[in-house]
Amino acid sequence: MTARAHPSEETLLRFAAGTLPAGPRLVVAAHLEGCVRCRATVRAFEAVGGALIEAQDGLPLAPDAFARVVARIDGDAGGEPRRATRARAPAPAGLPQGFALPAALSGCRIGALRPIAPGVRMGRVGVPGDPKANVMLLRIEAGRSIPDHTHAGLEFTQVLHGAYHDHRGRYGAGDLVEVDGEVDHAPLVDADSTCICLVAVEGALRFRGLLGVLLRPFV
Amino acid sequence: MTVPSQRGSGDLDGFIVAIARDADRQAFAALFRHFAPRLKAYLVKTGLPANAAEELAQETMLTVWRKASYFDPGRAGAATWIFTIARNLRIDLMRRERHRSVLGAEADEEPVDETSGETMLMTAEREARVRDALSALSEEQAAIVRLSFFQEKPHSAIAQELGIPLGTAKSRVRLALARLRVLLEDLK
Repeated sequence: MTARAHPSEETLLRFAAGTLPAGPRLVVAAHLEGCVRCRATVRAFEAVGGALIEAQDGLPLAPDAFARVVARIDGDAGGEPRRATRARAPAPAGLPQGFALPAALSGCRIGALRPIAPGVRMGRVGVPGDPKANVMLLRIEAGRSIPDHTHAGLEFTQVLHGAYHDHRGRYGAGDLVEVDGEVDHAPLVDADSTCICLVAVEGALRFRGLLGVLLRPFV
Repeated sequence: MTVPSQRGSGDLDGFIVAIARDADRQAFAALFRHFAPRLKAYLVKTGLPANAAEELAQETMLTVWRKASYFDPGRAGAATWIFTIARNLRIDLMRRERHRSVLGAEADEEPVDETSGETMLMTAEREARVRDALSALSEEQAAIVRLSFFQEKPHSAIAQELGIPLGTAKSRVRLALARLRVLLEDLK
């Protein structure tokens, strides 16, 4: 599976720099799991971070800084620090057989997939440490469309299963589609398979018309 | 942008290896002198208050000691590896998490991509090329890369610093990063 749609350079740089907000970061991490090319770009941008650190002037630390760190090392009493391990997120009911959630979702609480429109179900993804992150798992039946919507900021959609298309192209499993706020789109899922997407939006998602009013409690 | 040629970058790598192999405290002291002030400066630039930056710089160096055995000089140089640790700790701090997150932990545990061809290129050579790439950018593009790296809201910071409208800043960021990526393309 080779992805054809990738995050922008700016998004990968923000990922490497650690400045991408938690929600989009999660979706980009899901993309990186399957994309060698973007992992290499992130690695190169991390090396840019190393070079920027190396090139800059330092700021003096407190006089006892080194002593304090050494004291903590002495307090370690050998052995590795405890590593936080996270179980895979329990998958909500209603996902296709044999479908595995990305490892990036480990540690996230995923809400039940509830109907939000004909043929469309959505579960909220709780991002640890960032309750305001707007991340959703969407399941759209074959041939159905995601309600017409616009968004204030960027929208990141990682296709996990199936395929959809909109006026700009067709996207399949492994693709990450990054759409900015000016786009007003209504993606349509292929006729032969259910589509599962992981979506993060920066800024509020706005559906049009009555549906928008009905959905407000969900998004 | 002038990037000073890295003096003894191999030494710095060697210090981390010495910590992993011999728990070498002199190597750690040298590494601390070199990186802790740079880390603090980086963390202040990202917007942390000076005391939080100080704490996190110390925390980063402590993590360097504890995780030295994960350092692979064939994969990333000392500065890059230590940068990713500071970055991850900063993300964790922002999330106010008690434990390191899975995303935060990935830097030292993700599998090496054999297909990337990266392992065939010596790290030192790769990092020299990154410095060359940064040096090849114009002053403005270098400033854009720096601000994109350090700022949470780079577009407005760039617009302000360069005295240009926000929309112009967005397109210049796109151009600068596309150029940087082309310059780095050989690395992949």
